[in-house]
Amino acid sequence: MKLIIGGAYQGKRDFAKAAFHLTDAQIFTCTGEEIIFSAPCIDKIEEFTLGCVKAGKDPVALFQQYKDKWKNSVLICQDIFCGVVPTDATLRQWRQETGRLCQYLTKNADSVSRIFCGLEQKLK
Amino acid sequence: MIVFITGGAKNGKSSLAQRLAVELAKGGPHYYIATMIPVDEEDRERIRRHVADREGLGFETVECGRDILSCLSNVDKRGSFLLDSTTALLMNELFIPPDYRLNPTVGEKCADELVAFAKSVANIVVVSDYIYSDALQYDEVTETYRRALAMIDRRLAAVSDVVLELTVGNVVVHKGDFQP
Repeated sequence: MKLIIGGAYQGKRDFAKAAFHLTDAQIFTCTGEEIIFSAPCIDKIEEFTLGCVKAGKDPVALFQQYKDKWKNSVLICQDIFCGVVPTDATLRQWRQETGRLCQYLTKNADSVSRIFCGLEQKLK
Repeated sequence: MIVFITGGAKNGKSSLAQRLAVELAKGGPHYYIATMIPVDEEDRERIRRHVADREGLGFETVECGRDILSCLSNVDKRGSFLLDSTTALLMNELFIPPDYRLNPTVGEKCADELVAFAKSVANIVVVSDYIYSDALQYDEVTETYRRALAMIDRRLAAVSDVVLELTVGNVVVHKGDFQP
């Protein structure tokens, strides 16, 4: 699995498409708790974690459960970790769960890239 | 030489940018492009602090808060330029007085002009702000601003020789060679 992280609008998806020869049709874009773990690439995992938090589900447990499906995929998640702790409880939990998930994914990744202003920084 | 510097607030971006712009001038003319259009006393105070910071460095100040290419006719393009910052420039371009209505398509124009500016001068150091890694959900106006600034950052980073991220005064080199 290749993990791509980075702040908002940094060009993560464009990088994934170019580096791993992916088309838009191969990328599942999360908009909530629904997810296709077997997609070659999953984008906006932070939207999945937000959906999980709102639905009372554990995103890390779900990823662990379906590891066989995504273990060779490209996973993209926004870095939402560097701001002030949100006062809103849902957003606070969202930040926590997304961080927990990214740490789990990092451990299970062959490579981790941070995209910064469209440029790749290899972290692993 | 195009140098692009970004990072969090109060992390040393402006000081490093000033130093690099002076070094790149190699004794020749160096210009500070003042992008902020002050609207209140707080802005004027911030400008006074910035002017004091630059004192003794020999910068010629060029005031240009919008349409950045317009100031090219008053300068020696062989010189060195410091543009601090894209953040202020975009703010001025996005919200035009008297009603300060949002002009959502202006990001592209701003990016085109900044890239053209950077390519037409001998040396430039551009400073931006990294505002993309928090867990807040913003209103559409703020998201429009963030999206446009990030696009400008990516366009500038793509044409830059050196891309630096400053974090608490430390430099992370994302592109090119940089010796501190």
